[in-house]
Amino acid sequence: MKLTISRESLLAPLQSITGVVERKQTMPVLSNVLLVADDDSLTLTGTNMEVELVGRIQPVHVDQPGRITVPARKLSDICRALGEEAPIELALEGDRLHLRSGASHFTLSTLPAEHFPNVEEDAESFRLEIPQKDVRHMLEATGFAMAQQDVRYYLNGLLLEVSPDNLRAVATDGHRLALSGLDMATGIEEPRQLIVPRKGVMELVRLLDDVATPATLVFGDNHLRVTAGAYTFTSKLIEGRFPDYNRVIPRGGDKQMVADRATLKNTLQRAGILSHENIRGVRLNLTPGQLQIFANNPDQEQAEDALSVDYDGEELQIGFNVGYLVDVLNAVDEDQVLMTLSDANSSALMQAQHDEKSLYVVMPMRL
Amino acid sequence: MRTSEDSGRPRKIIHLDCDCFYAAVEMRDDPTLRQVPLAVGGAGGRGVVTTCNYLAREYGIRSAMPGSEARRRCPNLVTVPTDMPRYKAVSKQVMTLFRELTDRLEPLSLDEAFLDVTDVTDHHGSATLMAEYLRERVRREIGITVSAGVAPNKFLAKVASDWNKPDGLHVVTPDDVPAFVQALSVDRLFGVGPVTARRLKEMNVSTCGDLQAVAPDRLVAAFGKQGIRLHEMAYGRDDRPVVVTRQAKSVSVERTFDRDLPDYPACESMLATLAEDLRNRLARRPRERPIHKLFIKIRYSDFSTHTLERVRPDVQAPEGDDFRPLLDAIYPDDARPVRLLGLGVRFREDHAPRQQLSLF
Repeated sequence: MKLTISRESLLAPLQSITGVVERKQTMPVLSNVLLVADDDSLTLTGTNMEVELVGRIQPVHVDQPGRITVPARKLSDICRALGEEAPIELALEGDRLHLRSGASHFTLSTLPAEHFPNVEEDAESFRLEIPQKDVRHMLEATGFAMAQQDVRYYLNGLLLEVSPDNLRAVATDGHRLALSGLDMATGIEEPRQLIVPRKGVMELVRLLDDVATPATLVFGDNHLRVTAGAYTFTSKLIEGRFPDYNRVIPRGGDKQMVADRATLKNTLQRAGILSHENIRGVRLNLTPGQLQIFANNPDQEQAEDALSVDYDGEELQIGFNVGYLVDVLNAVDEDQVLMTLSDANSSALMQAQHDEKSLYVVMPMRL
Repeated sequence: MRTSEDSGRPRKIIHLDCDCFYAAVEMRDDPTLRQVPLAVGGAGGRGVVTTCNYLAREYGIRSAMPGSEARRRCPNLVTVPTDMPRYKAVSKQVMTLFRELTDRLEPLSLDEAFLDVTDVTDHHGSATLMAEYLRERVRREIGITVSAGVAPNKFLAKVASDWNKPDGLHVVTPDDVPAFVQALSVDRLFGVGPVTARRLKEMNVSTCGDLQAVAPDRLVAAFGKQGIRLHEMAYGRDDRPVVVTRQAKSVSVERTFDRDLPDYPACESMLATLAEDLRNRLARRPRERPIHKLFIKIRYSDFSTHTLERVRPDVQAPEGDDFRPLLDAIYPDDARPVRLLGLGVRFREDHAPRQQLSLF
């Protein structure tokens, strides 16, 4: 294998793919990136066995086609550190990959391409074409609420629910829930649910651009494949049943408060500084026209803050993990946020004041 | 009649009053003082007697009497100076012991307190047995005597504790109230001093029965707002709640053993029982604050006392096993007889919410 490529065309896909490769690997080849040189293209593949990302660079000057794997992070670090001027030459000599650029010369270890695991092919059941920015927005609006390393493994991912006339993303860690929907004719008749693992969601958000160019989502029984631009992303799916999210969306809230999103977020963050550093509980005292926020910690330090809100209901005291509220306020992309509450032990419903696409449910903390 | 929250039952109030408290502490610490007329304070020319024992009272000596007057009445009166720090320490022990029964406690001074035991289920829920139990424990563990009054409200409980003083108990059940007040002298009422008593006398009122016969508006005309109170008290009515000002920072139970526990296994075998007592005490209080720490208290036969505490925010209802690591850490390598063992919890002192609720 021998080829010449400009640094800038190699660096971006290499860095994306290195993101998929995890630092700690049980199998050495999983630390590597697979390089495949064809007539006029170079294809890079990284995987952690759960998620695979393939990037294709074309055109590339290929002297000699070939396939090999090299340590992904090292190759990426070298390319990033090189100057921009000189092109990069990659040449496989024996079992070493030589990288030359100007006066720089690196010799990297390799592992045979045959050792590199393939994501098994999976029969396609249906596909959707959606503008990249819409998919990205949906994932960003919900992904933060996914669980991390929860024993309820199906929560460590994001539910995609495809119905005849919409696509929904739902994430929950059992304490809060985020839902975002996209109205579209999907062409399928029976609703389908699948769970994309956390890692896959994170990588996908990084991959998708804020552009109207469509991404193709191919749904299989065990995999989701997304093609966007020069990248093909494949993720295994989590088997399991996602909880019935409709059941936990509160409908009976009689106390509606509208607040300025940025002010509420800043006030919460300020007060949160003196909340318990792990538990992060704050008390909210909602009275007509005003929301007070109190925090204190085991060191007896206290914070007290307040903001004007649009509210004319009964007084309510309720406790929350300040982080959960701030996460929602970060995800809402309107100036005004609507919060619907019922009592101190019931969940709060949060959404942008005029946007029904996304909604958030946050369980309180016991006072 | 004021009833306990929402339950509709009459309340059960105990008034506990240490008998000649300062003098009792002095006599406890120096038994020779028991045999003589004793006054605390009033030694100097101008000082007044703060408390005196019952022997001294036989000579007509009273609190607030000038020392010179007291000595005139009883030339062989023994006088000791007041030692407030010591009385305060004993008072704290007494109140702590009361709080083991309930946290609904309102101290009136160092030596008396109201307890609202309406919701206490120990001692078959009998306030009389509770009062006897507390009196007995104070006598045995602290070495002074307490008089107690049991009644459906504070006013009657306080009158009752004075009924059989010293070292006495008097119970006024809700059914007893009408008869009890009928003959009750008005100078026993809260707020009725010599002046009010004289003016009542002028109205031909000397008992609550007499007082009941006086129209309320006449009482108001004569005594203002106090008139309404007098009218209510005449019928034995008093709605004032037991005011719990202090929020407990900790709750503990301890036991002094009749025979010292000889070794570690003996101590270990007590953990489950003590923990159960502790849980019962915890169950009685409204749990406004979560547990932050567990602690153990141990007193050896030589009276040296040690405590050890550990942060355990995860505990809700402590079991004997939860205290085993503390016992392991505090108990010495060689067997040492243990006189007293106590277990307790300390509550968090911040009000921040802690327990995250779940969606499903």
